[in-house]
This record gives sequence, C-alpha cells and structure tokens, in this order.
Amino acid sequence: MTKLAEWLSGLTLLGVLWAAVTFDLLGLDPPEAVLQVSRPLPVFLLVALGCFSLGTVGYRVATFNDCQPAAAELQAQIREAKTDLQSKGLRF
Amino acid sequence: MASGVDQAVGMGLVGFSLLLFIYYTLWVIVLPFVDSDHVIHGYFLPREYSVILPGIAALLLVLFVGMFIVVVMWKNRKPKKTQ
Repeated sequence: MTKLAEWLSGLTLLGVLWAAVTFDLLGLDPPEAVLQVSRPLPVFLLVALGCFSLGTVGYRVATFNDCQPAAAELQAQIREAKTDLQSKGLRF
Repeated sequence: MASGVDQAVGMGLVGFSLLLFIYYTLWVIVLPFVDSDHVIHGYFLPREYSVILPGIAALLLVLFVGMFIVVVMWKNRKPKKTQ
C-alpha cells in the first residue's frame, strides 16, 4: 500500500470514529461534556499541529549551527569565482 | 551556535506556540468538564470562538500567502523577447 493510501485510510478511520461519537451514529448517547469536546476536535488537532510546527521551526532557528568562519570563507570564494568568470567573459 | 537575535526569535516562537497550545487546550478540552460557575470561565471567550478564530486565522494565512505569490510573480514579469 502506498503512503498516500495509508494516510488516507488512517484519516478516514479516525474521521468515522469522530463522526460516530459527534453525531451519535451508534446510539451511544454520549454525555454533553464529551460532545462539547468532540465537536471542535478536528479544528483543535489542526491548531495543535500548527503550534507544534511553529514551535519546531522556532527551536530549529534558535539551535541552528552557524559556522561564521566557514560562511566568511564561502563569501570570499564566491567573490573570487565571480571575478574569475567575469575576466573570462561571462556576463552576470 | 545561532546568533543572539536568532536565538531570541527562535525561543520567542517556542514560548508563543507553547502558550497558545496550553490556552487552546484548556479552552477546548478542559473547560467542558469544569462547573459552569467556576471562576476560570471568565478568562475564556464563548466556545463558538474556539472554532471561528482559527478559521479566520487560516483565511488570513491563505490570503497572505496568495498576496505574497502575486507580488513576487508581478515583480518577476519580463517583457516578451523579440526575435
């Protein structure tokens, strides 16, 4: 089974479970508090995913392994390459 | 190690997303199980907003991304070459 098919089946299964609880399709008659949690659950999961993504991006930005000497060396090499190529006739 | 500003911005994002997650989780998951006359309910908007506000945020995000693409494509348009 492809990854797409796996994800879609998983999501469909969870969706069916959610619908069964939220819209009382199995005659379970859940208490009002459970319904109040279950109804916004997809939106909640999306917001939670967004928060997780934002936090991960922020964390990776904060712990990024900058290499200042290597960056300076790279810039110098770029300049050198540019002047070299321009002397050989390449227009930028 | 990342520079000072990078670290500050990064950790700021982490903190912000954590606060947002905790507030939203309390709002959606915890509050329905708390008695309706408890003090804590005063710190949260009515529950409809817990769906409406993310909806508006998503809409704004899509608009923002769309505008960004329009601006970038507009700036990069080149006149057709003549032979």
